Amino acid sequence: MTNPNGYNRLSTLVLYVFGFFLLWEWIRPVEQLTDTSNAWVFILFLVMALMLDFFSIHWIVRFVLNSGFILLTLYFLYYSETYGPFQSFSIMIEEFFYNFSVMIQRVWPELTDMFRSFLFFILLWLMTYLIQYWLINRRQIFLFFLMTLIYITVLDTYTPYAADGAIVRTVISGFAVMGMLAFYRQLEKEGIKKGKSFTRKWMLPLTAFIIASAGIGFVAPKADPLWPDPVPYFTSFNERSGVNDKSGIRKIGYGEDDSSLGGPFLPDNQVVMQAEMEHRHYWKVETKDIYTGKGWISTPDDEESIPFGVGDSVPIESFVDNENIETTEHMSTVRVFMDYPHIVYPLGVNRVEGDSQFSFELNPVLERIQKFQGGNKVFLPEYEVYYDRPRYSVTALSAANNEEHGLDKEFYDRYTQLPDDLPQRVRDLAAEIVEGSDSWFDQIREIERYFSNQGYIYDQVNVAIPAEDDDYVDQFLFETQRGYCDNFSTSMIVLARSAGIPTRWVKGYTEGERIEGNSTYEVTNNNAHSWVEAYFPEVGWVSFEPTRGFTNSVQYNFDLASDDDNQTQEQTPTEPKKPELEDPSNTSAKGNEFTLEKVWNQAKEIASKYWKVSLGVLLIIIVLIALLYYKRGKWLPYVYVVWYKRSNDDKQFVKAYLTLLEELDRYGLPRGEGQTLREYAKVIDHTFSTRDMSRLTAKYEQYLYRGSLEKGTWSDMRKLWENLIKSTIA
Amino acid sequence: MMMTEEMHPAIEQVLVNIEKVMIGKRQVAELSIVALLADGHVLLEDVPGVGKTMMVRALAKSIGANFRRIQFTPDLLPSDVTGVSIYNPKEMEFQFRPGPIMGNIILADEINRTSPKTQSALLEGMEESSVTIDGVTHMLGKPFFVMATQNPIEYEGTYPLPEAQLDRFLLKMKMGYPSAKDEIEVLNRVQKQAPIETIDSVIDLEELRKLQEEIKEVYVDDSIKRYIVDLADSTRTHGSVYLGVSPRGSIALMKAAQAYAFIYNRDYVLPDDVQHLASAVFVHRIILKSEAKFEGITAENVVERILARTPVPVQKAVK
Repeated sequence: MTNPNGYNRLSTLVLYVFGFFLLWEWIRPVEQLTDTSNAWVFILFLVMALMLDFFSIHWIVRFVLNSGFILLTLYFLYYSETYGPFQSFSIMIEEFFYNFSVMIQRVWPELTDMFRSFLFFILLWLMTYLIQYWLINRRQIFLFFLMTLIYITVLDTYTPYAADGAIVRTVISGFAVMGMLAFYRQLEKEGIKKGKSFTRKWMLPLTAFIIASAGIGFVAPKADPLWPDPVPYFTSFNERSGVNDKSGIRKIGYGEDDSSLGGPFLPDNQVVMQAEMEHRHYWKVETKDIYTGKGWISTPDDEESIPFGVGDSVPIESFVDNENIETTEHMSTVRVFMDYPHIVYPLGVNRVEGDSQFSFELNPVLERIQKFQGGNKVFLPEYEVYYDRPRYSVTALSAANNEEHGLDKEFYDRYTQLPDDLPQRVRDLAAEIVEGSDSWFDQIREIERYFSNQGYIYDQVNVAIPAEDDDYVDQFLFETQRGYCDNFSTSMIVLARSAGIPTRWVKGYTEGERIEGNSTYEVTNNNAHSWVEAYFPEVGWVSFEPTRGFTNSVQYNFDLASDDDNQTQEQTPTEPKKPELEDPSNTSAKGNEFTLEKVWNQAKEIASKYWKVSLGVLLIIIVLIALLYYKRGKWLPYVYVVWYKRSNDDKQFVKAYLTLLEELDRYGLPRGEGQTLREYAKVIDHTFSTRDMSRLTAKYEQYLYRGSLEKGTWSDMRKLWENLIKSTIA
Repeated sequence: MMMTEEMHPAIEQVLVNIEKVMIGKRQVAELSIVALLADGHVLLEDVPGVGKTMMVRALAKSIGANFRRIQFTPDLLPSDVTGVSIYNPKEMEFQFRPGPIMGNIILADEINRTSPKTQSALLEGMEESSVTIDGVTHMLGKPFFVMATQNPIEYEGTYPLPEAQLDRFLLKMKMGYPSAKDEIEVLNRVQKQAPIETIDSVIDLEELRKLQEEIKEVYVDDSIKRYIVDLADSTRTHGSVYLGVSPRGSIALMKAAQAYAFIYNRDYVLPDDVQHLASAVFVHRIILKSEAKFEGITAENVVERILARTPVPVQKAVK
């Protein structure tokens, strides 16, 4: 059962299985680190492609099966819920054409998910061919193994992916594959015809080595890392995050200076914080009220900061306290990764709980909360924020309009401020948008929807910086029509203020990416965001989200609303489907490790108590064993003599003869591979000047080549045998 | 090396007979008897005058067999070998005149000097132990033993036997010149009377046929069969070999080893027997690569190396 490559089926299968394990390690992190879901279909595809390879199916059949699998998978993942199979097919074709044109234009972000999955399938398909080539044709896998290790370690260092298990798996599979391939390379090089026992002789030690090295590596206590974690270094190196230097490209992130907005952003994955939330909500840091035509500044700071302590109520009035808003109190926990002097909080914040040594200060203009400990701005690693989750009555919201809002003039002017040189066409546009809507609420909803209705494009890279005499909003609204959150939010505010609705600009973070189960979210610099809050009399501040691709959860109460308002459904955003991530630290493995470690510790304890004695004893034993082994020619033959004396069974003769051969070999009379026993016996007899060996050999030949042994051979021959084996003691 | 063992008495007699004629050529005589007993044929490659004919005649006389000799020439026709039907006007019918192939022991002298057509007439007879002439199948004698000779010197006007035909000879051997001492002895003996005239048959054909049957009963252990196969397989994978030994070669080696064990009075085969015969059985079945020929490697070298490298079975195979 050997194929032309000289493997037998079983070992080929084993090679394929380990090759699959190595490939698998490449897919595992993908699900955790990217927004790829359903990674199992890719794994299934790998299994199938490798199996087809293994069974050397004809390439046409293989091609049909593999591409069939890909098409079916794409259909079920992307189309089956919306379209029937035939319709899907034509849509799929269309989508392919679209993606090809996108590829030719090299607008990579525009590739659709379906096409990305398709490309990923093709990549995996190629990988199976490569694996097959490395394993079967080249019989070398080291490069791939090394790449896998590097891949895993890099991911482990720089991403949340915990590669503890992956490293162990990869090392085991890699060693196994390399060991087997080395064996087959040797066979091929030396032109050795292999037998079963030969394979066993190689594979058993190989398995033992792998188990021993992996076991020791697993159980042994781990040294602390030699080098400090490189991530903070790179982080400090990249401190420019969020800082608006004039050189052009910035990194996304939180910055304080918003006086000149615009320009491209680089994505930045640094984690700012993790939060456990009962409900999804945005995180506020500060609000700004004065639009300059280039960006945002705040009203000159003439008010005193308001200090308050842990557990005190936060002196921010978000909502008017009446029946127009139903509120329920909730709590979110924040774990800070990247230290800023301020804390983050949701709309409707009540109080902040945390280490009681801390105190806070509210900047009432910016509504920014800074934290202190004994007068210093310090790191507060974790705190809980209690807040009221509002549910707005649409009737109350719809009550306000330009004619009757009953707001304080100073307040109203502050939040409807606009620069004097704002181009007229912006104001005209605002009037055009809100035309036909009476209440502020309907108007601002029109403005919020305007951007997506008009096909404005979300883009972080190709974003213009307004020139000296350009207005930031005007440029976005009428010229570029592409930008990120700042563009959308600022433009919405300017439009709303043009229509007379009091609004302010809010900066902070979105809720981030969900990790670890249902309620924990990770906020990175990429999640820095800005959005809009509008003030409604008798209600309070309400969030709006004009930026395309983002959703903020705002609850509205429709119980009193009229029918024609039913388009303003409750805005519970559709949760993006995120795969449930496995807990990377396997708990059962952990428990296992724990006990092993305990055993190890106990052994260590005993060893440390009596280490001098035990070391001495160990040394003596080792020396004795070495000595005994080295001098075995002096005593081993006697052992054999006694050993084989115990029985007269003729079977003993066979064993005794083979032992004699071994002893003679050790004595320094090796038998050549091609030397027959008879020739060898003559050499031995010549050396010891006897005829005993030839007589013994004649009997053994009868046993071996004739298949019969005369009764009583052993008792007849034992004397000769003893003479011979004793001659080896010389 | 086998001298310590006693030989089968009848064979010993035959050998003594041959040795009366052929001085110092016991090895060659032994191999010829091996081929005869194993129901095979021998290809002798040597220069003229070293006693090829003499040996075959002595062998034939010792077993009381019918000896025929065919001297192959370029103009020899197949019918000159097999025989021909002739019309007898007295009895008004065709009568078969048997050719020289109808003997028991045939010396096919200088077989490579005749045309392939005539060669194949002989070789076909060797293979099937019958010839068909004018639609009538004539059985050949039993035992039927061909000793073909090839002259390695002359190449002009020769038709070298193709590989497929060479495979039909059980053994190929060389005679070689006698040593000086032996050659003097040869001279001494032929001075008065040709020694061939003095020898008598020691066994008859019936006994020989019985011996041939007995040889088939010689036990070949599985480990020995495995050893033979390993050897044959090694020639197939050897780096200098273009075409290795066919399974027919493995069969030939086993049969020859059985015969060899038998003439040494053993009813089982030893690896020593296999090793002793391997060269004679394998050499003419191996085709070397041309680069190996340039390096001066011979088929004998290859077989020697394989014998030294292939492990001899010294334990029962685990089944």
